[in-house]
Amino acid sequence: MSQEIVDAVSQYLTPNVPIKLISQGAEAVVFTTPVHPYCPSNEITKDSKPVQYIIKYRSPKKYRHPVIDKQLTKHRTLSESRLLGKLYLIEGLHVPKLIATDAYNGYIWQEFLGEDLPNDCGFSNLKNYLWMNAKDPYNDVVKDTLFKVGEQIGLLHINDYCHGDLTSSNIVLVRDTNGTNWIPYLIDFGLGSQSNMVEDKGVDLYVLERAIISTHSSFSDKYNDWLIEGFSSVYKKQGKGGVQKLNEVLKRFADVRMRGRKRSMIG
Amino acid sequence: MVNLNTVEPRNGRDYYIALGLEGSANKLGVGVIKHPRLASMSGGDNSHNCEVEILSNIRDTYVTPPGEGFLPRDTARHHRNWVIRIIKQALEKAQIMDPRLDIDVICFTRGPGMGAPLHSVAIAARTCSLMWEVPLVGVNHCVGHIEMGREITKAKNPVVLYVSGGNTQVIAYSENRYRIFGETLDVAIGNCLDRFARTLKIPNAPSPGYNIEQLAKNCKNKDKLIELPYTVKGMDLSMSGILAYIDSLAKDLFRGNKKNKLIFDRETGEPKITVEDLCYSLQENLFAMLVEITERAMAHVNASQVLIVGGVGSNTRLQEMMGQMCKDRANGRVHATDERFCIDNGVMIAQAGLLQYRMGDYVKDLSETVVTQKFRTDEVYVSWRE
Repeated sequence: MSQEIVDAVSQYLTPNVPIKLISQGAEAVVFTTPVHPYCPSNEITKDSKPVQYIIKYRSPKKYRHPVIDKQLTKHRTLSESRLLGKLYLIEGLHVPKLIATDAYNGYIWQEFLGEDLPNDCGFSNLKNYLWMNAKDPYNDVVKDTLFKVGEQIGLLHINDYCHGDLTSSNIVLVRDTNGTNWIPYLIDFGLGSQSNMVEDKGVDLYVLERAIISTHSSFSDKYNDWLIEGFSSVYKKQGKGGVQKLNEVLKRFADVRMRGRKRSMIG
Repeated sequence: MVNLNTVEPRNGRDYYIALGLEGSANKLGVGVIKHPRLASMSGGDNSHNCEVEILSNIRDTYVTPPGEGFLPRDTARHHRNWVIRIIKQALEKAQIMDPRLDIDVICFTRGPGMGAPLHSVAIAARTCSLMWEVPLVGVNHCVGHIEMGREITKAKNPVVLYVSGGNTQVIAYSENRYRIFGETLDVAIGNCLDRFARTLKIPNAPSPGYNIEQLAKNCKNKDKLIELPYTVKGMDLSMSGILAYIDSLAKDLFRGNKKNKLIFDRETGEPKITVEDLCYSLQENLFAMLVEITERAMAHVNASQVLIVGGVGSNTRLQEMMGQMCKDRANGRVHATDERFCIDNGVMIAQAGLLQYRMGDYVKDLSETVVTQKFRTDEVYVSWRE
């Protein structure tokens, strides 16, 4: 991680906004800050820590041609902000709350989600969670969590939105009020879009399936089954029309998978 | 514990010699390599550091006229016509007097690739094996690329970007398999470049991609970029739409279709862009996508090293972009090889095959040597790594 990026962000945000680097994703650098851009920022959480917010910064990529880079940064930041705004209004769907955005410079200010998992297992995203449970991979809590993840994706798709980059790191788990079960939140909508095309939904599911297979290979079959179960349940609730739509999506999903399998040819 | 010394070298030697035969596409490659039998190899994860010595690396490419691709039938004929001569040359260069005594194993490409060319080379491999009484090993072409890249660059556990005429994959190792994290959903990057080269009618020698690279370097107007679709889908990408679009631009340019305002000036009717501009924009766009999915995979598996393999990997612009990406990541480092090892060759097949042979895994019956056009990278059980 180069200091240059952190310096650039500090300069942009001015010293009034203290930041702490928490992760460098592929596309963006993520910071936490206790400052809210327009509300009083001395709020306290339940366990009496100051409320944190996330600042997500898409840094300019030097490897890309500047024209492509500017266009992508603007496009992705803007579309992510728009999507977050719209998705937040959908009932039952969990996404982080958007606070502020600056599309031209690539900044998004949003609600902080998740926590650190026990036993140094890292941040509570689905990837670390499944790794934490690798010793007892098929317990009921895991099943319940994956089913709920599937439901979230189902809700997203049935409302004609696509995520575009579904991986186990892009799903954050938050404990429910009892503290026993986990509620999944979808994050990182940089490649998301509004689309009613079956193709996009099929590709979305395929990308997730592959991410699960490659990251959690030993247990992927069951995991994927549970995800699809949760996904289907949302459509099935919609009655006959829902089932028809579901079959279309699943059929295309199978098609995309076949296409992917065929992809090792000459070289 | 991985023990790479399970099989003794033949005839009481203290080194292994492997002959590799490659012919999955339009390149026919024969290579001979030597591994010393090191005590350090009997335990631990050292498969990236075999101290390989390359005794010979001979390649013959079937080149088609400009505007044409290589057809399976003709490529197979080329391989059949040349394979004996090339094997002889390779043995001579490696100073192997009697292959019956001096070769431990013959490795050939089992797939993936075009059926007919694969088949002709496999027949040559079987013949040599029976004639010299030397065991055979069938190798996955992609794994060959990866193992050769690791051996040359000494990268222990990198994320691999495998880019060639038929494959575009981002691969990372986990639990004895090279797992595919991202790949193309339709055509491969090399295929995309080759087909565009055909539209431009530029020569296929030494390779269409190389000629596009040279044209792109000569682009006079690098600040401006022709806008092309940017189609990254998670860790996967799609390139057929980009190809169709840039093809249509090139065709309009050649045909002098004045109605296309993107290419021809509205008033003067002069062309605003050149072939060089098209090549430059295409490369910038495609490679930005490749680097992006690689970065995504790196972030996903928490890796800091990248290895670029495959024919397109010899493109210096791609290596430069990957280098810039790695600079911005913690301990980021990019490993790349030159055209001797990037472009299909026999040495890489020998390297991967010899590793497999040293683990005691070789063909026991000739029926196991049937070639296959579809052979996924993650189907191979990688016994020589931990």
